[in-house]
Amino acid sequence: MSRREPKREDPSGFFDVDATASAAALVGAALLTAAIYLGSRGLRNFDAALIGYATATVFLAFGVIYRYVVWIQSPPTRRYLLQGWKAFLSWHNFRRFPTLVPKALISDLALQNFIRKRGVARWAAHQALFWGVIGATLITFPLTFGWIHFRSVPGTETGYQMFVFGLKTVTFDAFTWLGWLTFHGLDVTAVLVIGGCTYFLWRRFRNREAMTDQHLAHDLLPLVALVAISVTGLLLTFSSALLEGRYYDFLAIIHMAVVVLTLVFIPFGKFFHVIQRPASIGVQVYKQASIRERGPFRCKRCNAPFESPTYVEDLQQTMGELGLDYEGWIEHCPRCKRIERGIAYRTDVKEGFR
Amino acid sequence: MDKTLFIDPGRCIGCQACVAACRECDSHRGRTMIHLDYVDEGHSGAAMPTVCMHCEDPVAPCAQVCPADAIPVGSDGIVHTAAKERCIGCGNCVHACPFGVPKLDLAEMLQFKCDMCYDRTSRGQSTMCATVCPTSAIFYGSYEELLADRPHARAVDIFGFGDDTIQTGCAVVVPAGREGQPVPGGYA
Repeated sequence: MSRREPKREDPSGFFDVDATASAAALVGAALLTAAIYLGSRGLRNFDAALIGYATATVFLAFGVIYRYVVWIQSPPTRRYLLQGWKAFLSWHNFRRFPTLVPKALISDLALQNFIRKRGVARWAAHQALFWGVIGATLITFPLTFGWIHFRSVPGTETGYQMFVFGLKTVTFDAFTWLGWLTFHGLDVTAVLVIGGCTYFLWRRFRNREAMTDQHLAHDLLPLVALVAISVTGLLLTFSSALLEGRYYDFLAIIHMAVVVLTLVFIPFGKFFHVIQRPASIGVQVYKQASIRERGPFRCKRCNAPFESPTYVEDLQQTMGELGLDYEGWIEHCPRCKRIERGIAYRTDVKEGFR
Repeated sequence: MDKTLFIDPGRCIGCQACVAACRECDSHRGRTMIHLDYVDEGHSGAAMPTVCMHCEDPVAPCAQVCPADAIPVGSDGIVHTAAKERCIGCGNCVHACPFGVPKLDLAEMLQFKCDMCYDRTSRGQSTMCATVCPTSAIFYGSYEELLADRPHARAVDIFGFGDDTIQTGCAVVVPAGREGQPVPGGYA
């Protein structure tokens, strides 16, 4: 067998520093810092005890934006992102196919029905994990940025006022259901996350499909990190509710350390799919809208329908940009490609092959 | 790759043992990743087994066209099935693969493809398909082992698609004397 020099350049370039991505990430991190300063009214409402979380989130913003910009620069991603947003925001699509976008958002993003097709238990666990993390993020980030803070109502023992960006909003009693939910929101999300992670950890040790190509850092560490965050968070409540605040300071530092490490890990590991995944909505809308608009593309050999003409044209352009100079091949369905290769083999390579 | 798959379509009798064995593989139970196509259906028994060829040069086309960076390529050259948390089911890999290998499950929004039985080959075992093939049309081993078994055979791991060629990690068996040219990828 022969080895020849690669015809194409290696597109990975993992360690190359990308100037565009660096600039975008710096701008993003600066904007977030400014938003924290302004939203907390010149740091007046900023809780200094939470500075570790806020700082880690600024680093998180830098890392996520950097990786996102690098990611969307590759030809297939750039093309899909543009086509996806175009289809997503298209008034023409909305008038002709009014249910397309809402259906994709609800089915694929919120309910994640595609995971249910992979298994009901996996879907239930992922839903618990998903909504737990979303809830915790929506509560934690504004709190640590100083965008939300609480003050006790003067003259009462259990009355509280919530301020958003320094503006007074709701007033509630700590012993009502609203008060309980407000102060225990993170406990609820922690329970959801622990439930979801427990199932996935069990699966990672028992399911052979999952075990085949799993990696410690990519598949197990994120689950362990989420459990650690949730358990140390619940221990804070345990300390204040049942131990009269004993060990609270120690637990608070442990909790913050775990959260900070996880936040800065997000751009590098499995958690990044949370940032990437919403792009799939645009892609699904683009594919469905183009099939409804132009009908299916048919295989040039067997005439079977597959994909849409727009999709085939876009993929041909992507392949051209990547230096894959056999774009004509994709006008044939996968089965016909295989059969044509078989015919070529018995014609050109082994004539006796009948 | 020290050991790889060598495909000899001339030996294939179309028995489908490879298809059944592949379905038993732990990493994708119930789904077969190998394709077995009858080249001249109804007229002859000629069959064409297709596994993932684990393209190189330098990265497999399926991985290059993936918009979600979902297809990992190991340092050992194995092109893996798309990562489940990333794959968006767009089908780019399915159509850009010149060999017609990846499969797509639209309901699960997932791609599936042959990963050369990674759970087995990474531990030194043979692939499921090669283990059960009664005619050794699918052979797993080193090139030296292939030549020891078939002195008059050679193998080629460069395929021609129009004016383009692709170097692969797996190879196709050709008659001695034919090894200098790329194997034609078809007449598309």
